[in-house]
Amino acid sequence: MLRRLLLTLLSLGIATGFAQAQTKPVLTVYTYSSFAGKYGPGKPVKERFEATCGCELNWVTAEDAGSLLGRLRLEGDNTKADAVVGLDMNLAAEARALNLFAPHGADVKDLSLPIEWKDDTFIPFDWGYYAFVYDANKLPNPPKSLKELVDSPNGPKIVLQDPRTSAPGLGLLLWMQKVYGDEAGEAWTKLKPRIVTFTKGWSEAYGLFMKGEADMVMSYTTSPAYHIVAEKKDNYKAAAFTEGHYLHVELAGMTRTTKQPDLAKKFMAFILSEPFQSAIPETNWMYPAKNPPSGTPAALKGMIQPSQALLFTPEEVQQKRRAFTDAWLNATAR
Amino acid sequence: MTIRLPHPGSLVAFAILGLVAGGFIALATFDGGTPPLLSIGPYLGRVLAFSVIQAALSTVLSLVLGIGLALALARRRFPGRDIVLATLGTTMVMPTIVAVFAVFAVYGRSGWLAEALAFLGWEEGFSIFGYPGILIAHVFLNAPFVARITLDGLNQVPAEHWRLAATFGFTPVQVFRHLDWPVLRAELPGIAGLIYLMCFKSFAIVLALGGGPSRSTLEVAIYEALKIDLDFGRVAWLALIQLAICLSMTGLLHWAFTRPPVGHTIRALVRRPDAKARSLKIADALMLAIGVLFIGPLALSVLTGLRNMVDVLGADLLEAFATSLAIATLAASVACLLAVALASAARRRRIAMRSPRVAALYDFLPDTLLAVPPFALTAGLFLMIQRFADPSAAGLILLPLINGLAAVPFAYRYVAPRLLTVEERYGRVAASLGITGWAKLTIMDWPALKRPLAAGFALAMALSFGDFGIIALFGGTELTTLPYLLYERLGAYRLDEASAIGLFIVLVAFVLAHLSGRMSHAGD
Amino acid sequence: MLVIENCRLTWPDFAADYSLSVKAGSLCAVIGPSGGGKTTLLHMIAGFETPEDGTLAFNGQDLMPLEPAKRPMAIVFQDHNLFPHLSVAQNVGLGLRPSLRLTADEKHLIAEMLDSVGLHGFASRKPGEMSGGQRQRVALARALVSGRPLILLDEPFSSLDPGLRRDMILLADKLRRKRSVTMLMTIHTPEDVADVADQMVFVADGKVVASGPPAAVLNSSLAPRIAAAVSDS
Repeated sequence: MLRRLLLTLLSLGIATGFAQAQTKPVLTVYTYSSFAGKYGPGKPVKERFEATCGCELNWVTAEDAGSLLGRLRLEGDNTKADAVVGLDMNLAAEARALNLFAPHGADVKDLSLPIEWKDDTFIPFDWGYYAFVYDANKLPNPPKSLKELVDSPNGPKIVLQDPRTSAPGLGLLLWMQKVYGDEAGEAWTKLKPRIVTFTKGWSEAYGLFMKGEADMVMSYTTSPAYHIVAEKKDNYKAAAFTEGHYLHVELAGMTRTTKQPDLAKKFMAFILSEPFQSAIPETNWMYPAKNPPSGTPAALKGMIQPSQALLFTPEEVQQKRRAFTDAWLNATAR
Repeated sequence: MTIRLPHPGSLVAFAILGLVAGGFIALATFDGGTPPLLSIGPYLGRVLAFSVIQAALSTVLSLVLGIGLALALARRRFPGRDIVLATLGTTMVMPTIVAVFAVFAVYGRSGWLAEALAFLGWEEGFSIFGYPGILIAHVFLNAPFVARITLDGLNQVPAEHWRLAATFGFTPVQVFRHLDWPVLRAELPGIAGLIYLMCFKSFAIVLALGGGPSRSTLEVAIYEALKIDLDFGRVAWLALIQLAICLSMTGLLHWAFTRPPVGHTIRALVRRPDAKARSLKIADALMLAIGVLFIGPLALSVLTGLRNMVDVLGADLLEAFATSLAIATLAASVACLLAVALASAARRRRIAMRSPRVAALYDFLPDTLLAVPPFALTAGLFLMIQRFADPSAAGLILLPLINGLAAVPFAYRYVAPRLLTVEERYGRVAASLGITGWAKLTIMDWPALKRPLAAGFALAMALSFGDFGIIALFGGTELTTLPYLLYERLGAYRLDEASAIGLFIVLVAFVLAHLSGRMSHAGD
Repeated sequence: MLVIENCRLTWPDFAADYSLSVKAGSLCAVIGPSGGGKTTLLHMIAGFETPEDGTLAFNGQDLMPLEPAKRPMAIVFQDHNLFPHLSVAQNVGLGLRPSLRLTADEKHLIAEMLDSVGLHGFASRKPGEMSGGQRQRVALARALVSGRPLILLDEPFSSLDPGLRRDMILLADKLRRKRSVTMLMTIHTPEDVADVADQMVFVADGKVVASGPPAAVLNSSLAPRIAAAVSDS
């Protein structure tokens, strides 16, 4: 028995050794878990890139964008990452400050983002708007604006994410700040009685909403597309707010420390090409950074179109996040 | 003159302290120099106060329900008792998100209780957010564990004591006073310390059920500093504060309840004379009913994952299962080895060297491991390891190591008392025969140790199975564990599949708890 | 007189059927191979095991319907006789009053009893601080202080070294005579009791195989089996 086990192990070792001996270059890309998961875009992206690059693409994952950044900082110059997919605008300044990223060199013209893109360190790979999602069967008349949501004492109960631990949580914090400016604190105080709770991450909040604990949940304008396409349910909708919606842009970049800068550059360019972009809508449920010539992908066509994209620059977020968070804490932590 | 090697347990103790301290230092000095002192603002102060109070309340309630259940179960035999015991061992190792959803399924706005009340015509809504929700979740997770481990303790009362109780005609009160209470007193500080630590650190539960950022824990601040501020010095300071509070709490418990002498046995169980008292029959029925009513629905709600079980059965689930199994086995080995080494060092100090104070320090060390915030420890150890090892291998080293370290206090609870009993019984004989060291371990200790060790091993495995803390930072396509898979599905809107995976994890934990129970239980 | 007639007990893997009589005030040593049913015999008399039928009586009183606590007997085990959280005096006191609400007279009685087993001045010690022999003395004191006329001793001194074991047997025998109680003692070293016991019983396979004066039993045709049983344990 033991001998058989040893033989198996040995042959496995030989097999992997053999495999390694004749392998192509490996591109290591860090991303967040659901991106590389069973339903994420990771699998098609890997297949499509490997078909053209003569290399192997290896996903290495961390839980979420924040974990990605934390891990990169811990690893520093020793990082094995050639590229990173899955940071966002609100972490961009901190990421840039790590001094780990190299210019991507990709052509970022003609993107379908609602803002002009000029950054030469990060490229956007998909985007969406934050929005409150509700069940139209249970909430026939959702608020028409953020102000209406805040000002209706008998309005819908909402479940949010903690801005200190979650990207959408931070998104709403910034959204409130854009709409209310210095009065954001008072707005939070007004809203507070209808906040069911602030969860650790998007998953808990969305789960609570789906289990009926709240009437609305902080999510994305594109969330209903999942329910329509995958579940054939059209009762979940995103509420359009007249003030505009806060923009969420997901970013990719290549590292300064990569041993294969050419391959990494190739991947950067690949990100904005059709094979990558067409994988996004029905796996990540976000808008592709670059639309196909036919325009917005079919699955996302019916989604609400915000009148205005609200956005702080990454540098503003870096400078003011602490103050915004403290104001939020002051207003809600009673 | 010969140079005597230090006892392996002392080496382990120093290694653990070194690891923890090294991790802290690596974090604190990451940016060069000493980090600025941390100022605790009013918010952090409130969070600390809240954490201390909620953890204390959760602990007291868990102990009351758990001990009540343990006493009732110790007195009663009924069909399906084994299943009940295994269920008790399962709840604590549930991934927290499974527990959170279970609480909502039962007590939520559209939960079973609300539906039942609405059916009875009571439409007033109620909200469980805040203390009620947090306490329900913590008691649900921990009271069954208290019951399980207390029951193990109660079963160790020597058969002779029960026979004496019968010949003396002890009343139920006297049975409690002379047989149950000494055991409870011996077990109480250890269990209370464990539960307190776990509730103090509880993170996702407190946020999801707390209802607002005033109901927060220190671990949120650590998480924020580590993943968003990237301020590692702050992480180190916050971790130190948590360590200090947790340790002073458990230290207080150990000091307040000095371990009384307890007669342990490894004999078969005896029917308890107080099982016949009518008042206790009523009390036990009531207690068991409360337990069933409280734990039953929550545990059953997890079974709703059954609907989607078929959808998740696939190659990736099997692979994740295999990965989890491998990590859990390694983690449990780490936990058991360290626990045996520490426990034998503690025993040597307590009996052979007659320094119970030093021995108490050894007893205390496992709790230290539980008090260290896992995020901070992971980050710190990662910084240490990456000087020697490839960062991509770090996950492979850190996962079993940190899961193993976190399980040491649990394995220690199984191992330490048994080692002490063996020494009290055969120590002098062994000494007179000159049996020491390895021979002593294999000849004298092993026969008595193997079952509790197996029980501790199974529990450590179960704990590692449900853990998501570390994997969040160091998971990956090559290191996908079951909880990781669960969160990945949640992140992809697949709530139903996530609950099926949750159920799968709980089932594995159930099997392990059942094994653990049979190991610790069966008369040797 | 202790009378046992055709008391049958059955388990899936063991069956016993005891018949035996022991004179009041005598010392009866029970010997036999381990697993042969010595301890079961004592447990049955004590009431921990209930025979399916037969007669079990002491001095004319039917013991069968009585709970262990109501039977006129006290018991001493090989080990774990004392509650480690109680003092020596309290442990002895349990034999008088399980509530431990002792009167001054009772406390006096306990002190006297401790003196007579050679534990003067040990009243406030905890069992953990005493040697194995001392602990068995406490157990003996407790069995005697209760004033119950029948005392069962289940391998009471087996874990003590030979010299001490003999001393303890002599002590037990002395106290038995002084208080005229009946003692039933299982033992696996018959030579230790051969000169003090009034009666010796050989139990094997759940049955009383022989009963009589020690010399008669030890020198009977059973001698090889007894020798085997002794060396076996």
